[in-house]
Amino acid sequence: MIYVENLKKEFKKSIKEPGLKGSIKSFFKPDNEIITAVDDISFHVPRGEVLGFIGPNGAGKSTVIKMLTGILTPTSGRCEINGQIPYKNRKNYVKEIGVVFGQRTQLWWDLALRETYTVLKEIYEVDDVQYKKRMAFLNEVLELDSFITSPVRTLSLGQRMRADIAASLLHSPKVLFLDEPTIGLDVVVKDNIRKAIKAINQNENTTVILTTHDLQDVENLCSRIVMIDKGRKVFDGDISELKKKFGQSREMKFVPVDFNVVESLNYAKTFNLSDDDVQVESDGHKVNVRFNSDKVSVEKMLNYTLSEIHVKDISVSDADIEEIIKGIYRSEVEV
Amino acid sequence: MKNIKRALRMHRIFVTQELKRMMEYKGDFIVGIIGFLLGQFFNIMFLWIIFSQIPSLMGWTLNQIVFIYGFSLIPKGLDHLLFDNLWSIGHFTVAKGDFDKYLTRPIDTLFHVMVEKLQIDALGELLMGIALICVTLPQLAIEWGIVKILLALLVIPFATLIYTGIKIATAAIAFWTKRSGNITYMFYMVNDFAKYPSTIYNRGVRAIITYVIPFAFTAFYPANYILTGENPWFNIGLTVLISLIIMVIGICIWNIGIKAYESAGS
Repeated sequence: MIYVENLKKEFKKSIKEPGLKGSIKSFFKPDNEIITAVDDISFHVPRGEVLGFIGPNGAGKSTVIKMLTGILTPTSGRCEINGQIPYKNRKNYVKEIGVVFGQRTQLWWDLALRETYTVLKEIYEVDDVQYKKRMAFLNEVLELDSFITSPVRTLSLGQRMRADIAASLLHSPKVLFLDEPTIGLDVVVKDNIRKAIKAINQNENTTVILTTHDLQDVENLCSRIVMIDKGRKVFDGDISELKKKFGQSREMKFVPVDFNVVESLNYAKTFNLSDDDVQVESDGHKVNVRFNSDKVSVEKMLNYTLSEIHVKDISVSDADIEEIIKGIYRSEVEV
Repeated sequence: MKNIKRALRMHRIFVTQELKRMMEYKGDFIVGIIGFLLGQFFNIMFLWIIFSQIPSLMGWTLNQIVFIYGFSLIPKGLDHLLFDNLWSIGHFTVAKGDFDKYLTRPIDTLFHVMVEKLQIDALGELLMGIALICVTLPQLAIEWGIVKILLALLVIPFATLIYTGIKIATAAIAFWTKRSGNITYMFYMVNDFAKYPSTIYNRGVRAIITYVIPFAFTAFYPANYILTGENPWFNIGLTVLISLIIMVIGICIWNIGIKAYESAGS
């Protein structure tokens, strides 16, 4: 369905010294450097999959999405979606995709929301019967009824996002690209939007590619994750794989009876662990030990702890995905 | 044929949308109309003062000068009315990354940009142009024939496209430079020379407005043919040819420029 091979995008950026003086200097003697925003990215998405595209700010997520939607022309490499090359047969290609950029809107700002849909109906040549059916469906999934007659400028961010998603789906696209669809929304609205995306994916087998910083989006929606950092792909697989690959990290929490004896615990020395493999934090009440379960088993850690001190409470848990990703973003985990 | 039908339909839909938008802000709409009427009134006063000081100019009578001036406002006004949105490309659309929207829709980007807005202010130029022509026409001894009437009507859309083409070509520079509003402005302002008979200028200026930034073909040359009936091949034929060449150049720069478009961070 979607094939991306060795995709690369470079931007030319002029280097300026700070201040007006720097600007004047660069005006007469420009000094350029090439920035590689996306570097040799390949992946493949089968029909009907929901792919989460994650990575820190500036990793190149939006640049990839913009190449896949035909907005940017790649410097080199190939992408093919539905057998079409986005920037080549753009007009034909975009009929089959829906695009939402969370930070922008394609709605007619000054007019009642429904006026946007009547124009998009013409732009995408949706016939009357199909349009009625489609609006009924979108109304049901995204609950547009209560604000469809309001001018777009008066909509709340959550309403606007729902309206924008509906706008991108009016022509029943085969692929839906969502660039940060839940940015700036409250928990309830986020949840509604996730449900809607799920419903659309399941009812119509729409392939969805979404970028997000919200890991709840990823856990709730995505069957697969592609993670990029500094323009390169650092992970590609499902969430359980991510946990397996990067998630050896466990967290042991306990509340000691007598806090003074905690200092007698020395995990690093006992199990011969490096600083990377074990970290101990305590807040004077609880103790939090993060350790690498590849290097030392959970059983050994528990046995040692319980044999040294008395505890009121103790628990061991998997590090959650958020922790894993934070670790990767900070390059704590070797990839 | 199907394409043209669809283009006309899309144009109608965008214009309707734009009219609805204007009505949405009633106060702004009404004040806009009052402002535009006042503006036209002062414009006419100003012209009257200037032209009454120069009864004739290098062989051109007052009526002829006013006719040329009036004629020049028609193509300018039509372009201004229909395709004013091109200005926004060089001013902010590209720099802010808002051009993304056009690229994700299944219609030609240039067409979409051109027809998206309607600039009602331009009705002032058009009405004024028509008024000046109507006032001077009875006083000018013009020999009319079928051919002349047809050519006079035919030349107007082509003269309009000279404006549009220059705006497209200069706006498209923004795809590389991010902003090009000032370049468009610089070229566009040359049109002021075209409102008066070109023969009053020295050879340098005349060459520029004929062959480099050919605004003389938007007004003086076609109007000259209507007034004198001389050189239809040069006055009308070349207007048509030049407008087509400029449009082709503009569309080429636009289409190449789209490949260089870099969007903006989000």
